[in-house]
Amino acid sequence: MLTLMHFQIVSAALFSVGLYGVLARRSAVLILMSIELMLNAVNLNLIAIASFTDPERFTGFIIAIFVITVGAAEVGLALAIVLRMFRNRGTVNIDEIELMKW
Amino acid sequence: MIGMEYAWLIPVLSFVAFPLILLLGKFFPGKGSSISIGAMGAGFILFLFVMADLLSNGEDFFSYKWFDVGGVELTWGFIIDPLSVSILGLVTFVALMVQIYSVSYMKDDPRFNWYFGIQAFFAGSMLTLVLADNFLLLYIAWELVGLCSYLLIGFWYERKPAVEAAKKAFITTRLADVALLVGILLLFKQVGSFSMSETFEQAELLMAGANSALSSGTTLIAALLIFVGAMGKSAQVPFHVWLPDAMEGPTPVSALIHAATMVAAGIYLVARTFVIFEAAPDSLLIVAIVGLLTTLMAASMALVMTDLKQILAYSTISHLGLMMLSLGSFGYTAAIFHLMTHGFSKALLFLAAGSVMHGIGRTDIRQMGGLIKVMPLTALAFGIGAVSLGGIPIFAGFWSKDEILLSVLDHRHPIFMILVLVAVFLSALYMARAFFVAFMGELSDENREGHEAPALMAIPMILLSILAVTFGLLALEWTDSFHGIGSFIFVHEGHGFEFNLILGLGSAILAASAFIIAWLIYVKGSVPISPFKRTFAPIISMAERKYYLDSMYQGFIDRVVLVFSALVAKFDRVFVNDVAVNGVAESVKRSAFTLRHHVTGLMYNYAFVMVVGAIALAAAWWAVAVKG
Amino acid sequence: MTWFLFILLSVMVIGGGLGVVTTRNVVHACLFLLFSLLAVAGLYVVLLAEFLAVVQIFIYGGAIIIVLLFAIMLTRSEEYPSISDNSQWPLAVVAGLALFSLLTATFVVNSRSFEVMHRVALTDLGRNLFTDWALPFEIASIVLLLALIGSIVIAKVERRR
Repeated sequence: MLTLMHFQIVSAALFSVGLYGVLARRSAVLILMSIELMLNAVNLNLIAIASFTDPERFTGFIIAIFVITVGAAEVGLALAIVLRMFRNRGTVNIDEIELMKW
Repeated sequence: MIGMEYAWLIPVLSFVAFPLILLLGKFFPGKGSSISIGAMGAGFILFLFVMADLLSNGEDFFSYKWFDVGGVELTWGFIIDPLSVSILGLVTFVALMVQIYSVSYMKDDPRFNWYFGIQAFFAGSMLTLVLADNFLLLYIAWELVGLCSYLLIGFWYERKPAVEAAKKAFITTRLADVALLVGILLLFKQVGSFSMSETFEQAELLMAGANSALSSGTTLIAALLIFVGAMGKSAQVPFHVWLPDAMEGPTPVSALIHAATMVAAGIYLVARTFVIFEAAPDSLLIVAIVGLLTTLMAASMALVMTDLKQILAYSTISHLGLMMLSLGSFGYTAAIFHLMTHGFSKALLFLAAGSVMHGIGRTDIRQMGGLIKVMPLTALAFGIGAVSLGGIPIFAGFWSKDEILLSVLDHRHPIFMILVLVAVFLSALYMARAFFVAFMGELSDENREGHEAPALMAIPMILLSILAVTFGLLALEWTDSFHGIGSFIFVHEGHGFEFNLILGLGSAILAASAFIIAWLIYVKGSVPISPFKRTFAPIISMAERKYYLDSMYQGFIDRVVLVFSALVAKFDRVFVNDVAVNGVAESVKRSAFTLRHHVTGLMYNYAFVMVVGAIALAAAWWAVAVKG
Repeated sequence: MTWFLFILLSVMVIGGGLGVVTTRNVVHACLFLLFSLLAVAGLYVVLLAEFLAVVQIFIYGGAIIIVLLFAIMLTRSEEYPSISDNSQWPLAVVAGLALFSLLTATFVVNSRSFEVMHRVALTDLGRNLFTDWALPFEIASIVLLLALIGSIVIAKVERRR
C-alpha cells in the first residue's frame, strides 16, 4: 500500500542528493541546479503531506506554489549574479571567489 | 528676610566660584581673585543673617532626599546649631581675610587663578563639612578638604620639598581617614542611617541606659575610630608629622590650614560627635591623654625650632592638643571657644609671618632681629597674636585657655592639671621667644632693606588683630540675655561665665613670667641660656630631632613599605603583566594565526560546516525525543 | 499500477538528481535536471495534484531550464568540465548519506498510516489562494517584480565611459 512515508523517503533522497551537489560542486551554475533539486524535494514533501492529510485547507499546495514562485525568482537573480561574476572575474569557479578569506 | 534655610548657599557659592575662576577668571577684575573674595564675602554676610536667625529662632536642620539604596535613604542636608554656625563664622571670616591678603601676597605668581580657585574650593569643602547633617556628606567634604590641602601645600610643585610635604600631608591624613570611614560604617551598621541626629538619639538612649540600637562596645570602638580620623586632620601625635612640613605651601595657605580649615575639621568632628564619645566615656580619657601628650611634645619642639613658620606650626599642634584635652575633659565649650580664639590669633600670626617673609625674604628667626624698626605694623600684629596665644589676660587666648584649665581641673586627675600648666608655660615661652628674637634686639644690615606690608596685606592683619584682642571677651557675661559663650555653645545644658580666680591668676602669672623670662634671655641677655641647655640637653636634642618620629616613619617606609611595594610591583610586572595580560593576548594571537588558515573564503567549506551543525542539532534533538 | 508508477517515477527522480550532481558536462547536468523535474511532476500526478504538475512542467521545464541553458551559453562553457567537483566531495557524500539516514529514520519512526489521497478541486484552490492567502500572494508578486528588476540591474552591461 502506498503511504505518505514512501513519498517522504523519495523526497529525503532527492534532498540529500541536492545537498551533496551543493557541497561537492565547484561551478556556480551546478550549485544552482542542486539547489533546485532541494527545492523540489521540499515541494514534493509538502504536496505529499497536503494530499494525504489536509483535504480542506490546501496549505501544503499553496506553500508549494509560493516555493515555486520564490524559486523562480531566486534562479533569475542568481543567474544574473553569475553572469555579473563571469563578466567581472572571467570565471564561474567559486574557488576564485574567496575575497572573504584571511 | 534671609534666614537659615539659605545656609546651603554659603558653601555652594564657593564651589561655584571654583570653575568660574579657572575658566573665566581672566575676564574679571583681579584676575579671578575677585570672584573668590566675592563668594567668600557673600558667605560671610550670609553667615551674619544665619547667625541672627539662629539667635532669634533657635536651631534647626534641613534635609533633602538624595537617593534610595536598598531601603537606605541618603540625604543632603545641613544643621544649623550654635556649633556649626560658630565654625561657619570662623571659616568664612578667616578665609576672607586670607584671600584678601593673598591678592597682594601672590600677585606675581604665574598660577594666580589656580591658587584662588583652590582656595575657594577649600573653603567650600570645609563649609560643607561644617554644615553636613549626615556622616556620608561629612565624609565626602572631609576628603575634599584633604584633597584641597594637598593641592595647596604642593602649590609650588616645581620645588621638591613642597611636593614631598603635600604627599606627606595627604598620605598621613588619608591613613587616619580610613579609620574615620570604618567608624562611620560601624555606626551605620547599627543605627541603619547616616543621619547624625538619629545616631545621636541612639547614643543618648545608650547613655541613659535605655534600649538603644547601639551597643556600648561598638560605640567605644566607633568613637575611637572617629577620633583617629580627627587625630589625622587635627595633627595629634603620632599623626602630627604632616603639619610642620605643610608650611612648604604659600604662607597664607598655612594661615588658612592652621586656623580655619584643615586642622579645625578634627576638633569640629569630635565636638560634633561628642554625644557618641560621652556614651563611651573611656574614649574621652584617651582623647584627653592624646591631647595632653600632643600639647607637651609640640610645645617642647616649638621651643627649639628656629624657623618662624615651624615654630608657629608646632604651636598650632600644641594648641590643637589643648583643644583635644579640653574635649576629653568634657570642656566642650572651652574647646570650641579656644578653636576660635586660636584660629583668629594663629591666622594673624601666620599673616604676620608671611609679611615678614614678604618684607625680608627669610624665615629663620636667627637671621632676624629688630624687625620692629622696619615693619612696626607687622611686629605689632605678631605681638598681639603672640600674647593672645601666650595667655596674657584680656587678650582672646587667655579666656579660652582659662576655660580649658577649668574643665581639666574639674574632670581630670591632678597630674593632668600639672602637665597642662607646664604646657601653658611652654606655649607662652616659645611665643615670647619667637617674638623677641625676631622683632626685638639689633637690626642686622641685610634686613635694613625690609619693607612694611602693603595695604591689602595690612588690612586683614588689622582686622584679625582686633578680633585677637577682643574676641575672648565673649566669654564674659555682658547682658541679661547673653551669659557668656557657655550659654551659647554647649552640649547638654548651658552654663554662665565661670572664673576661678586662683586658676586665672595662676595661669596669667605663669604666662607673664614666661614672657619676662624670655625678655630677660633674648632681649636683655641678662640671663644666660647655656646652663639650661646643658641641663636639658637630652630633651632638647630629642625635641630638635622631632622625637625621632619622622625618622621612624621614614625608616618604616624605606624598609617595609617600599620593600613590600617592590615585591608587589614585581608581581605585577611578572604575573599580572607578562603572564596574565600579555600571556592571554599572546595565546589568542597565536591561536588566531593558526586558525586563520581554516578561514578559506570558500563558500562550500562554510556550507559544509553549516550542514554538519544542522545535522548534529537534528541528531541531538532526535536523541532527546527518542529518549523522552 | 500506482505502485509501479511510483517506483518508476522515483527511480527517474533520484536517477536524474544523481545525474545532475555527478556529470562533468554542464549541459548534460541541465538535461538531467529537466528529466528529474519532469519525473517530480509525474509524482504530483500520482499524488492527485494535477494542477501543480502542470505548473511544475511550465515553470521548471519551460522557464528555469531555459534560463539555466542561457546562463551556461553566456558564460565560458569550456571551463566547466574542469571545475565540476571540488576537493571536499567525499565529505559531501558522508554529509548527504548522514542527512538521508537521519530523515529516513525520522519518517519511518514517525510514520502514521495516512493512506487516502485527496483530490483537490482547482476552483477551491484558486478561491483559497485569492481570499485567505491574498496578502502573501501580493507579496510574492512584489518579490517576483523585484527579482525581475534586480536581475536586469545586476546583469546589465555598463556603458563604458
